[in-house]
Amino acid sequence: MRAGSGVLAGALVATWALVYLVTQVIVSPPLAVGTTVVAGTVVSVLLVVGYPSALRGPRAATGLRRGARESARAEAGHGGTRSGRAGAGLPVRRSMPLRSGLTADAARRTAELLLPLLGGDAVAITDRETVLAFVGAGDDHHRAGATVASTLAGRVIAKGRTVVGGTPRALACADPGCRLRSAVVVPLTVGTRVVGTVGVFRAGTGPVPRDQVEDMAAILSLHVELAELDRERKLAADARLDALRAQINPHFLFNVLNTIASKSRTDPDEARQLLLRLSDFFRYAVRQEGQVAEFAQEYFFVRTYLSLEQARFGDRLRVRYDIDPQVLTAHVPVLMIQPLVENAVKHGLADKVEGGTVTLRARVDPLTRTTSIRVTDDGVGIPADVLERLTNGSPAAGEPGDDWPSGDGGPGRSGRSGVGLRNISLRLATLFGERFALDIQSSPGGGTVVDIRMPLR
Amino acid sequence: MDPDDVDEHDTPAEVDAAFRTLRRVAITHFLLFLAVVTGVPALSLTLGWWSDARIEGGLSPGFAMAAFGLYAFFLVVGLAAATLSNAVESRMLGGDHPGADGADRHEDQQ
Repeated sequence: MRAGSGVLAGALVATWALVYLVTQVIVSPPLAVGTTVVAGTVVSVLLVVGYPSALRGPRAATGLRRGARESARAEAGHGGTRSGRAGAGLPVRRSMPLRSGLTADAARRTAELLLPLLGGDAVAITDRETVLAFVGAGDDHHRAGATVASTLAGRVIAKGRTVVGGTPRALACADPGCRLRSAVVVPLTVGTRVVGTVGVFRAGTGPVPRDQVEDMAAILSLHVELAELDRERKLAADARLDALRAQINPHFLFNVLNTIASKSRTDPDEARQLLLRLSDFFRYAVRQEGQVAEFAQEYFFVRTYLSLEQARFGDRLRVRYDIDPQVLTAHVPVLMIQPLVENAVKHGLADKVEGGTVTLRARVDPLTRTTSIRVTDDGVGIPADVLERLTNGSPAAGEPGDDWPSGDGGPGRSGRSGVGLRNISLRLATLFGERFALDIQSSPGGGTVVDIRMPLR
Repeated sequence: MDPDDVDEHDTPAEVDAAFRTLRRVAITHFLLFLAVVTGVPALSLTLGWWSDARIEGGLSPGFAMAAFGLYAFFLVVGLAAATLSNAVESRMLGGDHPGADGADRHEDQQ
């Protein structure tokens, strides 16, 4: 359960306890049961509806601090560690240690779990170079961190198949006092690639059943493979975000700089303001860490962008924000709203001579715990075939992305100047799985509505 | 000229959006205030228990509410409205402001 839902549940329990206390315990005679239930229900509904304001709204400072901590954690994740969260929204399962990757800590905890299960006297887990964990008899001289090259595990990695060592000599232990007499060492594989080994050692007669160790190794291999998939998924999510950052159109920069240059003679104060806004815009785009950010930060980014575009388009570009107070502290994917607004300006209004209005509407539904963001323009709209392609998520041949062409429905004068809806959709899917909706409604000449609904965070 | 000397200003659309959001906050809290204030006499008229029951000290729930509860509610609703309004204003107007104090305006060269 997410922290916000936990607080809400706790507040609801406390509310019902208070209603019970006030109507049944400290008062004589107690209130009738039916009336008490009605009173409790009314108070509960008020609490649920007001929760995002009453409990989320005032936490300005802590919300920002938490955002910073999440960013720091995400940054730490970039450092190469495989433990902890694999980025916001990509939780790593902790029930099976190797699910978070083949690390020394995960290997040690896995070996401790396997030791009583497999009936051996010691369990070792290695990667391709070093012993990650050795638990059980002989751990005084079989130490984690040793190289595997000259051991039984080294042979398993070289051959890529199970090796059974039935004699102390086969174990190649240099310690004459070593009690271990036999071992079964099985490779851990990801696809066809050997990434490590798991070995079960015995001090008594005969090795443990080979099938048993191989079955366990297959399960462990699956967990390691899933961990690698998680890591690749996180890398893909980061790459999509980087792609969005990289797609800040140089034409946009040229246009803004030209606007500032022209205003520097006629209105130096406004030119300075625009320069500051341009600085804010690029600072946010470059510095924003993590996969999610507070809506207020994304809102700042959007209005910074739109104020720069308004300086360029003048009265042709009108903006209307319709922001629910409760949505300001909700967390949304980073760089999600600005590309939608940019598409509305570039593809919806730029080609319309008389200009138009871009509307950003953001709402929170406290009952369904949903955040809803809608970007509307009354521009030229999207041609039916392009809309069909966008909603089906299949870019046209030769079009590597998912941008729609310029608003005249032609072959796209602006080329790939827009930013990817598909990119946004993929990032939403990474963060929320199936629990989001991205709808596009448009008609030629009738404007465009892009609506995103996602779980409230 | 020191860039920190430049007064930032918000666009009309941003101020308009902040105004409408703050108006929504004010109306919501006023409606809540109105509902509770009118609820006390309404309960006195419709629910006998509200006037007839007794709590510690021999007070009826209605009397206790009028004597103490309403003032506590006024305090809570006032604080909630003020806090939320401040939070809304700080988020919807001005800059993002790691650099509001000018410290971050001078981007570090890394």
